[in-house]
Amino acid sequence: MQDAKCKMQKAVGWMPSPFLHFEFCILNYRFTYRHSKTLWCVFALITLAATGRSASPAYFPDDPIQADDDKAFDAGKAVEIEGSNAYDFTEHTFIKPGERRDIRALNVNTIDEVPDSMWFTNRIGRRDMSIDEIVRGPNTGPTPSFEDWPVVQGKSTGITPGYRIVDPTGRLYQVKLDPPSNPEMPSGAEVIGAAIYHAVGYHIVQGWAVDVDPARITIDPKATTVDMRGRKRQMSRDDVDAILSRGARLPNGKYRATLSRFADGKPLGYFKYYGTRPDDPNDIHPHEHRRELRGSRVFAAWVNHDDSRGINSLDMLEGEPGRQYIRHYIFDFGSIMGSGSTMPQAQRAGNEYILEWKPALKTLATFGGYVRPWILVDYWEGAKSVGRFEGDFFDPVEWRPEYPNPAFDNMRPDDAFWAARLVSKFSNEAIRAIVGKAQYSEAGAAEHIATTLIKRRDKVVRTWLTGVNPLVDPRLEADGTLTFENAAVTAGVASAPSSYVVTWSAFDNATGTPSGQGQEMTVQQPRAAAPSGLLSNASFVRIAVKTAHADYPAWNAPVSFTFRKADNRWQIVGLDRTVAAGVQVNRP
Amino acid sequence: MRRSFFIVSLPALTLALFSSVAEAQEPQTRAEEKRREREEKSRALTPPKQGGLEKALKDLESGRLFERILNPAEGLYPKIGHITTGSGFSLGPGYRHAGLFGGQATFSTFAAASFTQYWAIDARLQFPQLAAGRVFLDVHAQRYDFPDEDFFGLGPDSVRQNFVEYGLTNTVIGASAAFRPRRLVFNAALEYLDPKINAQTEPGRVFSIFTPDQMPGALVQPDFLRYEGGVEFNTRTPRGNPRRGGRYAVNVERFEDLDMDQFAFNRVELDLQQYVPFVHDRRVLALHGLVSFSDADAGAEVPFYLQRTLGGPDDLRGFRIFRFRDKHALLLQGEYRWEIFTAVDGAIFYDAGKVASRAEDINFEDLEHNYGIGFRFGTINGTFLRIEGAFGSRDGKHFILRFHNVF
Repeated sequence: MQDAKCKMQKAVGWMPSPFLHFEFCILNYRFTYRHSKTLWCVFALITLAATGRSASPAYFPDDPIQADDDKAFDAGKAVEIEGSNAYDFTEHTFIKPGERRDIRALNVNTIDEVPDSMWFTNRIGRRDMSIDEIVRGPNTGPTPSFEDWPVVQGKSTGITPGYRIVDPTGRLYQVKLDPPSNPEMPSGAEVIGAAIYHAVGYHIVQGWAVDVDPARITIDPKATTVDMRGRKRQMSRDDVDAILSRGARLPNGKYRATLSRFADGKPLGYFKYYGTRPDDPNDIHPHEHRRELRGSRVFAAWVNHDDSRGINSLDMLEGEPGRQYIRHYIFDFGSIMGSGSTMPQAQRAGNEYILEWKPALKTLATFGGYVRPWILVDYWEGAKSVGRFEGDFFDPVEWRPEYPNPAFDNMRPDDAFWAARLVSKFSNEAIRAIVGKAQYSEAGAAEHIATTLIKRRDKVVRTWLTGVNPLVDPRLEADGTLTFENAAVTAGVASAPSSYVVTWSAFDNATGTPSGQGQEMTVQQPRAAAPSGLLSNASFVRIAVKTAHADYPAWNAPVSFTFRKADNRWQIVGLDRTVAAGVQVNRP
Repeated sequence: MRRSFFIVSLPALTLALFSSVAEAQEPQTRAEEKRREREEKSRALTPPKQGGLEKALKDLESGRLFERILNPAEGLYPKIGHITTGSGFSLGPGYRHAGLFGGQATFSTFAAASFTQYWAIDARLQFPQLAAGRVFLDVHAQRYDFPDEDFFGLGPDSVRQNFVEYGLTNTVIGASAAFRPRRLVFNAALEYLDPKINAQTEPGRVFSIFTPDQMPGALVQPDFLRYEGGVEFNTRTPRGNPRRGGRYAVNVERFEDLDMDQFAFNRVELDLQQYVPFVHDRRVLALHGLVSFSDADAGAEVPFYLQRTLGGPDDLRGFRIFRFRDKHALLLQGEYRWEIFTAVDGAIFYDAGKVASRAEDINFEDLEHNYGIGFRFGTINGTFLRIEGAFGSRDGKHFILRFHNVF
């Protein structure tokens, strides 16, 4: 009987083993050896049924998908979610919501990339962007002539003073003033952050750094504001003057501010960095397992976006009734880099959570004898518009947002690699051009910010582009020549490896496994020729490549490229990056 | 056997049939696979749910409820806190009306009472931002009743066992002004005082221990006119929870006895604070020195209820409230403060001080002292909670809970 069990297990080995074991045990329980003929007949029927059944193949004909249609179902019933800063802090600091699990991101396609969606649109990662295009960011045009647009509302949320205006078409804009202590600081940070995050691929609202002429401010007769008792009342010039008194007045009498255009659609509040929206049928991947949200930890570390949390996001309902969908925005970059919005960024920002027990208890127990290393960092103080921004002490792995972020905590080496590769696409020239958009007037400010961004970019790329085997862009020519690229070498953050070990196999798409014996070869360059005869009879081929580099043992974990033959050409359909154990890219 | 075959075959055939159907339903593309997932979710949509805590915190934030309830710019609000040192927790209605006199003035008033039967009524009209914020004006009136004020006797050698209580009621009507050119502040005030002492809180007790001579002003209390002038130089940053800089103030007061020429006196006070930062302002040595001299007119005395006191949660923290009292006083405080994390500082402190009836006795000899440790909760804008333990005095151990910083 034991033999029979073993044979059965072998015969139906593709089936999920719990299912097999369960079925067998029932049979085994009911039937004794004298019933074995009956048993075999039944087994034959089951096998027949099973072999006739077709499981999903490893790769569908449309793999790898370049776009995820998350507009497919009507989301018109979605309702607005209002967030609470205090609750968000409490929840993420003490409750730690979301699933913390070391699994591959769930929304990547079969070549480990993020398809376009209402969350993300591949830009700098998929195509060359001109510097002008990067600098323009989300803006569809030049700075609007907003000076004569009437004020219709006071700004009701956030800590920065401001008000809302409407253009002649009725579209709403928000004016947020820089603080008197640090003119140009948050408005500069806003436009720089928006340009970078937009080029990366996120949905960003349009915004401009502007100078507001108080003499040209007009107030709509129906303009309203909310007083300190929470009562809505008519807005007056005194209200506007009170707002302006909290803003940065420039020597020319104007006020430096950020002008933001409200996004299209109906606001639905913010998205969380975990779970899915229960009222959005298109939102099927838990946010903490979305690649672009996990990987945004890399971008946040680069630009010191310590305020990267759900509250600083925005969901907008777009589309016609019956065919509505939700677009997800990241917004409010006024407190990135050295800016803390209304004051220079706190030294703690980016170095420690607001509440982090271990260093706090060490400091408490030693009566302050223990000094957190970040406390001793000296910041450049040459320009108030810079705030506190530096790149020498910055450690990408140690970087932290204001409080734990479930998606950031789930970031794995492959997520970090994906994001770091996008960061590596920003050239020095592009970074300097982006910084130029902020129009810093203080001497040295633009140079310091650009230099610091470049320094931090290099650290980010060096850290996260080398955490996994960094092979990208595989091609298999019709003549059997395989080429690929080593992204870390291309980015100049690693020397060429000593060799690549390439293993070729035919691939069974139905079972999702290589078939036959793999054929291994070692090459010194990222180029290899297919073993003779392998490609001629195969419709799928899998090539696993290990990289030998003395400095990066993690590169010995293979990257598998899977190609499909179509029209006598080989098309990449699969890229699986094995994550080596023990590589720490994230220290939540 | 046949029956067995049938029994076992039935599910197998069912499985075979099911498999065939399933094959027909398997997605053929990745897009279809995702579409099916979405379709399934679309059949079970629910609105997002918020828990009670989240709703409450959201309402507090969006409605500015803390601000509106506890310290609104306008309207009725509950006045919560304490009326004076030793009064205990107090509560009462408050009202504020801003925007008077062309937006320049704010009227505010409150009435509050404590569980220890202290009460106060206060009304004031303030012009906080005259001359582009450089001039401050205030007109005010107060009436209060403090029924259980502590008294241990005068001088540095007062005995704790002599503790008695007296009642103090007072009516104050006055005005003050300040002129703030940059970091300097010049201030002046004029007040009419009508203090009344009730020494019979515990009938017979006060005068069974102290003679009227040992409590000047205990039997009769005149009305006073109080004049005040002072100057202050303030470089502290940040103002709410200083880490560096200092505050150096000198203040002169004249208490004019309006009724009997027995209690007129002058007072001069020097109040110095210095904050010495190190480790990039995350550690601070905070120093405070206060010296106060009161000089009665010829033939007059300084009434005991207007004398300087030491002892309590804000000066000599290892002693009871008002433990020492006399015409002259010296207080020296030193604190080592270290930031534990953003909202919490630790502090180790040492307080020393003395009172004296003669100015020449104000020196560094025979100082009362205590030490202690504590925690402060707040932000750079201020401390909202202070918890401390004070030890090492001859007055025992003291636990302190206060809603403001010590200095």
